[in-house]
Order: sequence, then C-alpha cells, then structure tokens
Amino acid sequence: MTSGKILKTVFFVEILKGLALTFRTLFKHPVTRRYPKVKVPAKAGFRGLHALARNAEGRMKCVGCGLCGAYCPSKCIHIYTSEGDDHAKIVDRYEIDVLRCIFCGFCVEACPFGAITLSEHYEYSETSRGAFYMTREKLLENWDKYFAGPKGERYFKEFWLPQSNTYSSYEGQAMFRGRAKGKE
Amino acid sequence: MEHSEPVIEKPFETKELTISMGPQHPATHGVLRLVLDLDGENVVKCTPYVGYLHRGVEKLGENRTYLAALPLSDRLDYISSMNNNVGYVNAVEKLFGIEAPERAKYIRTMVAEMGRLSSHIIWLGTHVIDIGATTPFLLAMTERERILDLFEMLCGARLTVSYPRVGGVRNDISQEFLDELYEFILEFPHRIDDYETLVTENRIWKDRTVGVGIISAKEAVNWGLTGGMLRGSGIDYDVRKYVPYDAYDKVDFMIPVGKDPGDCYDRYKVRVEEMRQANRIIKQCVENLPAGPVMADAPKFTLPPKDLVLRDMEHLIHQFVLITKGPSVAEGEVYVGTEVPKGELGFYFVSDGTGKPYRMRVRAPSYVHASVLPRLCKGGYVADVIANIGTIDIVLGECDR
Ligand code: SF4
Ligand code: SF4
Repeated sequence: MTSGKILKTVFFVEILKGLALTFRTLFKHPVTRRYPKVKVPAKAGFRGLHALARNAEGRMKCVGCGLCGAYCPSKCIHIYTSEGDDHAKIVDRYEIDVLRCIFCGFCVEACPFGAITLSEHYEYSETSRGAFYMTREKLLENWDKYFAGPKGERYFKEFWLPQSNTYSSYEGQAMFRGRAKGKE
Repeated sequence: MEHSEPVIEKPFETKELTISMGPQHPATHGVLRLVLDLDGENVVKCTPYVGYLHRGVEKLGENRTYLAALPLSDRLDYISSMNNNVGYVNAVEKLFGIEAPERAKYIRTMVAEMGRLSSHIIWLGTHVIDIGATTPFLLAMTERERILDLFEMLCGARLTVSYPRVGGVRNDISQEFLDELYEFILEFPHRIDDYETLVTENRIWKDRTVGVGIISAKEAVNWGLTGGMLRGSGIDYDVRKYVPYDAYDKVDFMIPVGKDPGDCYDRYKVRVEEMRQANRIIKQCVENLPAGPVMADAPKFTLPPKDLVLRDMEHLIHQFVLITKGPSVAEGEVYVGTEVPKGELGFYFVSDGTGKPYRMRVRAPSYVHASVLPRLCKGGYVADVIANIGTIDIVLGECDR
C-alpha cells in the first residue's frame, strides 16, 4: 500500500465524500410528489381509459366493423351486431373488458373510422370488477366527460400519427437546435 | 461429591441445511426461487427454479399476427420494454424484407439507449440496495423517473411503451421531447458521477463485490453469457458493434470490458461505463437526427396513414387485410439478435406463409444468466448469493416468458 492509500483508508476519505454528497442533497428540492393532493397531469397523448367517439350530430361513430376487436392483442373487445331495416348494420353491444386491456392503443390504430380512442384519464380505481366492464353507454359517457371542448378535440385529432400530410412533407419536424434559450 | 468436567466425546457436528429462498424474497428480483444447500454459512449447492411468471409468450405470439404480437415483447423484460420492441421489430422487418427509414432508425437507436439507461439505473439501484446501501437507490430512481416521463411524452405510456412499429416507429417525436431529452443527456453524466462517488470506492461495497462471483472468460463463453456478464470477464462482444442494426453503425461508441476472470466489481464497472456510452450514443443521435419519414413505404406490410384510410379505398382494403389476416409473408425463417441491457435478446421466427408466425422463439438472456447462478454461488457464503443475484441482472418476466 502506498502512503496515499493508507491515508485514504485511515481517514475514510471515500465515505466522507459520499456523505458530503448526501449532505448537499439535503438542500435540494424534493422530487417526490404528494400524490392524491398534488396530481401529475398526464402528458399529451397519454394512453388511458377508452372512449367511444361521437360525431357532430352526437351519434356514435362506430359502425361495428370489428377491426379493433380483431387487432386487439389481449382480445378484450367484444362487439355484437345485428341486421336492421334496409340491411343496415346495428351495433347492439360494444364492450371492453378494461381489466384485460393492456393500453397498447392498437384498437385506435385499427379503427378506420376514428371511432374509438384512449383518453388521458388514468385514475379509475373501483371496488368491484364489474365496474371495469365498459359497456357502450359507459364508453360514450367517457367521451362526453374527457373529450368535451377544444382540448379533447385536439387530443383526438393528434392521437394517431403518422398521417399522410406529415408523411409527404417534413417541414416542421423536430430537429436538433441546440440547447433551449435561457439554459446555455 | 467429585466434580468432573463435561466430557466432549465427539467434536461439534454440523448438518447440511436446505433452505428455500424466494419466490417471495425481496432480494430475488421477482419470483426467482433458489434452493440452497448450506453447510453453516457456506453454500454447497444452489438450485434455481424458474417458471413462476410463465405466461406462454411464445405460444401467444403464434396466435397473433406479426403486427399485433408486438405488445407481447414489452412484457418480456418489462423494465426496458423499449429494447425488446426494437428487437422484435428488427426481426420481423428482416423476415418481411423491409427496412425502416433513416429517421426512424435514429429514433429507435435513441429510445433503445434510453431504455438501456433506465434498465441499468434499476440494476444499479437494486444491486446496491440488496447489499445494503439505500441512498444510491433513491438517487437513481429520480433519474429513471425522468426517463419514464420522457417516454410518456413520446408515446403516452411509461412502462410498456409499444412505441416502435414494424417498418418504423409509431409517431414522430415532438420538438419538446427532443429539447427535454437533450437537457437530460447533458446533465446525466453528472448523475453517474454522483452514483460513482457513493459506490465505486466505498470500502463496504468493495468488500462485498471484489472477488465475488468470479467467472473466467472461457467459462463465460461456454455458459453462453452475453451482455455485461460476458464483457465483465474481458470479452468485447457486443451485438451493436458486431452485427449493427438500426443506426448503431453510424454512431461512435466504445465497448467497456472488465478483466479475465471477472467478478461482481468488474461487471459493476462495465455497466456503469455502459451508461456513459449510452449517453454518448443518445447525444449523437439527437444531434444528427435526419429529417424524413418515420414509417417505411411498404403498404403490404405496414398499416397505412390514418387519414388515407378514411379517404382511399385501397388503403382501407389494406387496413382490413393487414389487421384481420396479417401480412402475407414468404416462407422461411429468420433470427435476429439485438443487444438489450441484459445481454443478447434474440427473436427467431419460422414463417409458413401465413400472417401469423408458425413458431416464435425468444432467446432470453435472463434465462441463460439464471442458469449460471449455481456456478457463481457454489462455495461462497450465503451473503454472496445476494450479490450474485444482483450482478447477473435478471428479470424474471423475460426468464420465464
Ligand atoms: S388498448 Fe390494446 S388491449 Fe386495450 S382494448 Fe385497445 S387494442 Fe385491446
Ligand atoms: S370502434 Fe372502429 S374498428 Fe371498432 S368496431 Fe367500431 S368502427 Fe370498427
């Protein structure tokens, strides 16, 4: 052992350095948040609870094509349709077993009509399992609750990319531009 | 009465004791069960039992189309789901014979390295907390939280991201994300310095890891170890360098190696250095990010842009066929290995010409690394078992699949 090493061993140099770091951290702002009191807003595009979209007249957009159910990796969408007058397809039941859902967002990708979407809502604890079996009515209710107003509209519109306009022109794409102002 | 000394006829006898550690033990990182045969403090034999988290991912994959099975890969190694996604899509792309555009490749490399950081942070935190140091764990979690926030900004999910897609990525990144990521990247090396201040030279840490879990380079190769376990023993094998995928051939990075034979401390050094290298890779990706599309133009294999589906008959048909039947793939088989934080994750597909794989096999590094545990633990102390579990860095979700 060199003398430097002996000195370091005797005076606990590395331990003191560590303790100094711990001591400095004492004066920093805490990073934890007091969750139920302080809520963290979900980021734009968060994949939360499902909602069935309404069109401008307030009717359900879904036509019961069944693509979302076919694509769903956990097979938790159940759609029952029947034939109405004029051979129209009627969606009798549209149900999502939310407890089986993995929130991958594939149903949103699959739907050709933009009829199903995921909302930013993530606090949905309940006391019974039945409450997580979302029927059509509940899903439409979610739409009214979480997609009302311009914020919901924007969220809905931008949820699924790429769209063909971002596909052909690359202007406005995120590019590296150095550090943000004020932080240099 | 005559007082007599008690006579010891035989020397004190010890008996071998068999104890079961796990599957609910906090230090076994999930549901690993070890049956330990102990002679006092010495481990005579260690037998790992796996399978408590078996969900049949490989079989499930055979019942879903190539496109829809992607979220299954998230659930292998759930603390670095991004890397598994990247591995999965690379394998499927090779099978389809398509290639992602340049920008998508850069984005994938970037997010995969973020996944590597988040995984190594968890590894560091849990490894040291198992051995008795709480502070680095709490510090490390702060940084992981920031990475998860970035993931949330990127794709709307924090843990099981399902962000890369066959032929590209799900959506383009936002400017906000890129700026925030760059800030993080500039700051993160200082955080690694902090961890190192607390851990690297600490005498207790060194006492617990130096000379523990020794494995020579030759043995490491023979056991089939990959990733940090192999490099810790002084072999510079890294899939990212040897068989580059995505944009790894366009970025400059170094493969840190330990010494032969390597111990827990060497592997610790290697992984910490890997974090710095990952940081470098992300920085280069952010700075050199090219403009362009993020999805390949391959209408037979990738879902069409959303708005075209609503307007255009052909795209609508593609949408229907791809989702219900899956893409039509030529018969054949393909294996692609990618470097995930734990080692080499391989996907092996056998295609019979339909939209679903005939066989999907996952080569999980955690499974291989769990098998080396008896070798590492044998002859050591009980306390070293904990150090060894930490150093092999396994996730049981991937091990049991
Ligand atoms: S989010 Fe995924 S798992 Fe949930 S219903 Fe949609 S497709 Fe199924
Ligand atoms: S939600 Fe969309 S994909 Fe699902 S049945 Fe309705 S229209 Fe079809």
